[in-house]
Amino acid sequence: MKRRDFLKRTSLASTALLLPKFLSGFNLIDEAIATGKKLVIIQLSGGNDGLNTIVPFRNDVYYQKRPSLAHQKSNLIGITDEIGFHESLIAHSNLYNNGELCIINNVGYPNPNRSHFRSTDIWHTASDADQYLQSGWIGRYLDASKSKSLDAIEVDDTLSLLMKGSKTDGIATKNPNIFYRTTQAPYFKKVVSHHDDAHLNEHNLGYLYKTMVTASSSAKYIYETSKTYTSKTTYPNNEFSKQLKQVAQFINSGLQTKVYYASLGGFDTHANQANKQKRLLKVYDEAMEAFIKDLKQEDSFKDTLILTFSEFGRRVQQNAANGTDHGTANQVFLIGSQLKKQGFYNPMANLSNLDSIGDLKYDIDFREIYTSVLNNWLDIDAKKVMHKSFKGLNIV
Amino acid sequence: MTSKEIIHLYNRTGFGISYLEMKALQSESRVSVVNEVFRNSATFTPLQVDISELRSKMKGLNMKDRKKVRSLVKDSTKKVHELNIAWIYRLGATKKLLREKMTLFWANHFVCHDKNILHIQQYNNTLRKHALGNFKDFVIAIAKEASMIKYLNTKQNRKKKPNENFARELMELFTLGRDQYAEKDIKEAARAFTGWNHDIRGEFRFRRFQHDYEEKTFFGETGTFGGEEIIEIILKKKQCATFICEKIYKYFVNDQIDASHVAEMATMFYKDYDIENLMRFVFLSDWFYDEKNIGTKIKSPMEFLVGIHRVVPMRFEKERELVYLQKLLGQHLLFPPNVAGWKGGRNWINPNTMMLRLNLPSVLLANGIIALDEKGAFEDDFQRFNTRKNRQRKLKVKADWETFTTQQKNVTPEQLQNALLVSPINKGTEEYLEKLKEQNLKESCIQLMSLPEYQLC
Repeated sequence: MKRRDFLKRTSLASTALLLPKFLSGFNLIDEAIATGKKLVIIQLSGGNDGLNTIVPFRNDVYYQKRPSLAHQKSNLIGITDEIGFHESLIAHSNLYNNGELCIINNVGYPNPNRSHFRSTDIWHTASDADQYLQSGWIGRYLDASKSKSLDAIEVDDTLSLLMKGSKTDGIATKNPNIFYRTTQAPYFKKVVSHHDDAHLNEHNLGYLYKTMVTASSSAKYIYETSKTYTSKTTYPNNEFSKQLKQVAQFINSGLQTKVYYASLGGFDTHANQANKQKRLLKVYDEAMEAFIKDLKQEDSFKDTLILTFSEFGRRVQQNAANGTDHGTANQVFLIGSQLKKQGFYNPMANLSNLDSIGDLKYDIDFREIYTSVLNNWLDIDAKKVMHKSFKGLNIV
Repeated sequence: MTSKEIIHLYNRTGFGISYLEMKALQSESRVSVVNEVFRNSATFTPLQVDISELRSKMKGLNMKDRKKVRSLVKDSTKKVHELNIAWIYRLGATKKLLREKMTLFWANHFVCHDKNILHIQQYNNTLRKHALGNFKDFVIAIAKEASMIKYLNTKQNRKKKPNENFARELMELFTLGRDQYAEKDIKEAARAFTGWNHDIRGEFRFRRFQHDYEEKTFFGETGTFGGEEIIEIILKKKQCATFICEKIYKYFVNDQIDASHVAEMATMFYKDYDIENLMRFVFLSDWFYDEKNIGTKIKSPMEFLVGIHRVVPMRFEKERELVYLQKLLGQHLLFPPNVAGWKGGRNWINPNTMMLRLNLPSVLLANGIIALDEKGAFEDDFQRFNTRKNRQRKLKVKADWETFTTQQKNVTPEQLQNALLVSPINKGTEEYLEKLKEQNLKESCIQLMSLPEYQLC
């Protein structure tokens, strides 16, 4: 038996033993735990400038539209004859060489919205641009797979729309220790332990007690399981790295959670973009490097798929403040060792064919990617999660 | 009226009632107690933050001066936050309970958001003004509000290029509900609202040259309709009264609709669309006081927070913290998630918000600790992002226990419990409460408010 499997079983079992009797009705352990596959979603929040991330250094239009912002070939990490990585993306270019990275270019949706909030909602809910959904695609995945709250964790203090389902919401926690401690207040323990079956009915009070018990038992399970693993990998000292380190701890300790979400903010580079983006991409790249190393050491990388997106890309034409304004389509990165398509999934965006505002016209609907991830990685019929039918791509 | 009925009425028309205030009403009849609720809300006081400086800055502003415009937008956004705080404190102190409760209800019906403080403050007061008035006047007033004209793109709705956004939401969200109209009706209605616009001060302006004066056919009627006539035609449908009554029932009575009660309400409301009459009808009806309607509603974050505040008045030394708290609880006033508003009910509750709610009374009133980190704002610059720590800290809140002691003079823990908890009580919890009775009132108060039962009203 592998260490993780062992932990998985023992820690769940011991947690189950400690739970009050009335809880036996809703077991924490999932029937659907079978695959053990993990999905880690990362948002580069604020709208990362994709065009300066994966750079078409032979494209004249690129240099015309970006007189002071365009990267010269010499500053890039070369990949192909035409395209180079931003110099901060050292780890990503290595992943690319190892066949562990798939770059999907020019991903977007019809009638793009250029508000951060709205476009984030659209990406989170997988809605059309004029459709307002109140549940996220991961939340609906929890609903459809009959998963538990703790099957999706957002490494933050509040829960994003992405993680909210109609029946089940994911859990937000940045620090399992703090999360656990809040359930350990003496009065709280008393109320949980004095709770009886009679009220687990359709009354709203029953719902509140159920949620309280879920919170309390999840916090305990997450805390007790995750503390069995201590990372040997050194992470850079910043908040985003801490979040990823936390995710690695969750995964490597054998937590049953299937989906994780974390975000890195600050990409809204309207002014003086060059330095800001350079530092942000460095934070992102180095944190990912440590994270992947950590996973590989415990042999859990093979079961992990990492999806990085940004709510939109930026305008092709730079602005007068050496920055860029809100745009439309952007890249999505998929990282993993079981990719069906390695390297570039599709060609770069056509910079000569822009919309009336001067933004990219998308080639791939982001929901095609979700559909493939649901069907082929999370092993659920995407139709049960998506409000619309998509064919999906041959990526995982 | 029984004590239970009085508490129920005050939970739903306001944010609860103290034991002694309840006691004082006990000898009165239902009609007279309900009458007093309406009497207290008869007039309306606008909610205002000081915007004189902003107003003078706006005079003679050159829109091409981008730097000035940007700084003005920033100042305005700050003021919107100020209005948010002022609104919450008003909810905590007002005597016009029903009017304010209805304002909250309408704010989540006629959902709108605007960074312009002049316009959104005016919008907010329009909600307050019409909260108990005539529904037709209300819809027309909302349609003419600058913030709404911007929010649902009426501004871009011109004869040559109609924008259907407002016309669609007018029917889907504000009056009839989904699938009660054809796409053709939306197109025709949109034409009737062409030319509706506003000026910089937020006054309604009708732009004649952008209005489509041609004939429209809407819900089977043909004429050269303008916007107001479209609203009149919509209100001729009984479905409009039914739709509004369903929403009122869900908010004030029970999440689970009782079709026969709603039908009674709709018949009543359809006669004159008078909101006050409708609400009076609800609060006087016997079914409002049915056992199954008492203590079954999950409090919204505002009902929860303001409810605590009305028992133990609090002052946030750092207003930002009150803003974070709203975000953590999932209801940030003036910042609705989208045009459909907050879903309410069980949607307020997930493992995180539940834990937060149960811990909040001790965090607010007994120096408890809370993990409080603002989500990375999109504008976060790199430095700020990196200095964000996994903070776990105490909120800077001053709790006014003196007022509590005065208001709860000679009240026993058991009496306090009766005023604070109205839902059926879980058996195990009941045993636990027995022990509370030996504690001092302050302690019991915090513990009572930390129970799942306190989340219901």
